Amino acid sequence: MPQPGAAKPAAGAFFDTDFSTIDSVLATALLYGLQGSNDCRVAIISLSRPNLAVAGFADAVERFYHGPAATFAQLPPIGMITEGSPGETSPAFVAPFQKKKPDGTPVYKNEVKTVIETGDPNTLFRNYLEAQYDQNAFFVLGGPATNLAGALEFPGLKDLIEAKVRCLVVAGGAFPAGPAEARIKADIPAARKLFAEWPTPIVAAGFEIGAALEFPGASIDKEFAEAAPDNPVADAYRAYQAMPYDTPSWAMAAALYAARPKEGYFQVSDPGKIGVDRDGRTSFAASEKGSHRYLIVDPAQKDKIIQAYVQLASAKPQPPRRLRAAAGQPDGGAVAGWVSDPRRTQA
Amino acid sequence: MITRKAPALIQGSALPRRTFLRGLGTAAVGLPFLDAMAPAFAASSVPGKPPVRMAFFYLPNGMIMDAWNPDYEGRLCELPRSLKALEPFKEDILQLGNLTHNTGRALLDGAGDHGRCSGSYLTGVQVKKSLVEIKNGISFDQIVAQKIGGQTRFASLELGMDDARQAGDCDSGYSCAYTNNLAWRSGTQPLPPTLDPRALFERLFGAGQPMTPEQHARQLKYRRSILDFVTEDTHKLESNLGPTDRRKLDEYLSAIREVERQIQRAETDNRQVDPQMDKPYGIPADFGDHFNLMSSMIAIAFQADLTRIVTFMVTREGTSRPYRELGISDGHHPLTHHRNQPELMEKVRKIDEYHVKQFADFVDKMKAAKEGDRSLLDNCMIVYGAGLSDGNAHLHEDLPTIVVGRGGNYFKTGRRIVARRETPMCNLFLTMMDRMGVPMEHFGDSTGRLVGLDLG
Repeated sequence: MPQPGAAKPAAGAFFDTDFSTIDSVLATALLYGLQGSNDCRVAIISLSRPNLAVAGFADAVERFYHGPAATFAQLPPIGMITEGSPGETSPAFVAPFQKKKPDGTPVYKNEVKTVIETGDPNTLFRNYLEAQYDQNAFFVLGGPATNLAGALEFPGLKDLIEAKVRCLVVAGGAFPAGPAEARIKADIPAARKLFAEWPTPIVAAGFEIGAALEFPGASIDKEFAEAAPDNPVADAYRAYQAMPYDTPSWAMAAALYAARPKEGYFQVSDPGKIGVDRDGRTSFAASEKGSHRYLIVDPAQKDKIIQAYVQLASAKPQPPRRLRAAAGQPDGGAVAGWVSDPRRTQA
Repeated sequence: MITRKAPALIQGSALPRRTFLRGLGTAAVGLPFLDAMAPAFAASSVPGKPPVRMAFFYLPNGMIMDAWNPDYEGRLCELPRSLKALEPFKEDILQLGNLTHNTGRALLDGAGDHGRCSGSYLTGVQVKKSLVEIKNGISFDQIVAQKIGGQTRFASLELGMDDARQAGDCDSGYSCAYTNNLAWRSGTQPLPPTLDPRALFERLFGAGQPMTPEQHARQLKYRRSILDFVTEDTHKLESNLGPTDRRKLDEYLSAIREVERQIQRAETDNRQVDPQMDKPYGIPADFGDHFNLMSSMIAIAFQADLTRIVTFMVTREGTSRPYRELGISDGHHPLTHHRNQPELMEKVRKIDEYHVKQFADFVDKMKAAKEGDRSLLDNCMIVYGAGLSDGNAHLHEDLPTIVVGRGGNYFKTGRRIVARRETPMCNLFLTMMDRMGVPMEHFGDSTGRLVGLDLG
């Protein structure tokens, strides 16, 4: 029950990914940058492969953006599926934990040692969606559709998604047509189910978007380093492959559009229906009644997008803004205002 | 007049489990499990086995978690400070981590974590924020009671020690119905707890008719025990029992007598100390005495199979009760908003320890009571916990929860088990419902059964 007169907070962001590319790591940083500009509040980051090293890294990123005062127990858990293949563990997820301070202690602490330090993605989606206002959340998918297809089978979750989520933005596929794309191919049955049954509008940021918008790796040692000398995202980028390199930005594009859909960064296709064939190739059939669209690169906006990527992803950590101070709460002083986090009492 | 006659023993058949000692229309005293009843547990969910019982001891305002959670998993070794009093019983304990009540959280309903956390504790439902339009769900203990409650004299017992107000604002717009009750017969009908030991005693051992004040006075005047009324039946029964059963019966009746004596003492003290005091007449002024009386009667009720389901709201959620017994004059709730000030946190730790100490005395009684070749405790699931973890920040995850007892040789106790983060508390309830013989596919916000608790 929303409080009378309460301002609607920024939309809750749910990012589901397998972190199989450094682009997904940058997208996480971008979402936290968008949180700092009050365009969203990062609710849940969930992993679609059972890899504790990657979950530990994601947790370290989360703690970096919440600041040193936040303890492990106070932060939302990283969601992680427990079935399937753990996949490859890139040095990007290991190297940051080897970084030492001058006194020899680790710069980043890995708090995720076992699966119990993570959460079931469906339970987290449900718990954290229940804390969102209607139509005031979005999902970004930066990996195989395994988790989100699974969510559609979780009791009550599909209805909750329909009520709370305004849009799903998928980094994957190729539009209007193209070869089978890696993220779709990683779990074709899940992708087919997702595009067939997901109850909200879907916008796809296809392969061609990421390829056309390369994130400038030079910013890692410039803007990122200037904002925070120790940033796990920047350290992961350095370890992912030999520097210097630029990288395609599928998930970053998806995250940027999801949080700022009206900013005009991208052109958007007419409505239609996205399909996935048995080989993983995506197709688009225009239809006035369709609830799917795909992003189209606007060459005139390219520089603006790249600039937004760098500015937002390298921004200093900013916790989500509170709606009201905690002081004077009638129940004796509960922490107030963290609306996208169900664990925080909203003022 | 023994309702199920003793001659059955002489004829070689078992003494019925639901035998009562009765007398003069004022007493009906159930019996503990005796060897003479050996094959008589046909009413339990598994024929031939003692029934499984469950109880909830609910503590308000959260805990100081650094003194509650061990820093390890697996076999319980040294217990953390708040649980120290349970050290002798650690092989009977499951210490659970990461259980969460999402429905206790704000979820857009604003302040009022105390009202929500107790209201939803056994229902798994987000309660309606209102003072007049009460809306919750049926609590799972009552689902079980409605299914199996007919097998015992009382379908369930609801007890408390603090405040039974059912109306008014107890937390930021949440009715006192949410903070002062644990058991809910339906979404709109809470079952208020019995606070007065005398009322509970008479309910357990009376013949079904509450005594009039004149009868009370007469009984007190002549110092008569309820057991005096059943002397004839007792002697008749004893003559048909073997020495082991006779000793067991004697211990059991002595325990009842001791409870009765304590109630009488409290009544006498109350009259002397403050004739105007607002507490019901038989409630001891001392927290520990009150706890001891109520929990002793829980043990007796389980021992005599008078009920298999008990909810005990030790003090109401959000209580500001001071603990002068410990030299702490600050209210409990304000203290738990300690803002991480060490001296305030230390006081809360002392209160947490004190609560557990009282509980440990109860566990001791349950463990000492024999039931067949096991202890009574082995056939029980006693949940001791709170609806908040960190009371200062009002957190609803990693709720302090222990389960004491093996639930009928099912739980592999003596361990700390940590579930994945955000695992619903209702998953534990589903597992407990299985043990009570009332399985359900789904309850509250459950996502499945809590795994890894059993011997398998």
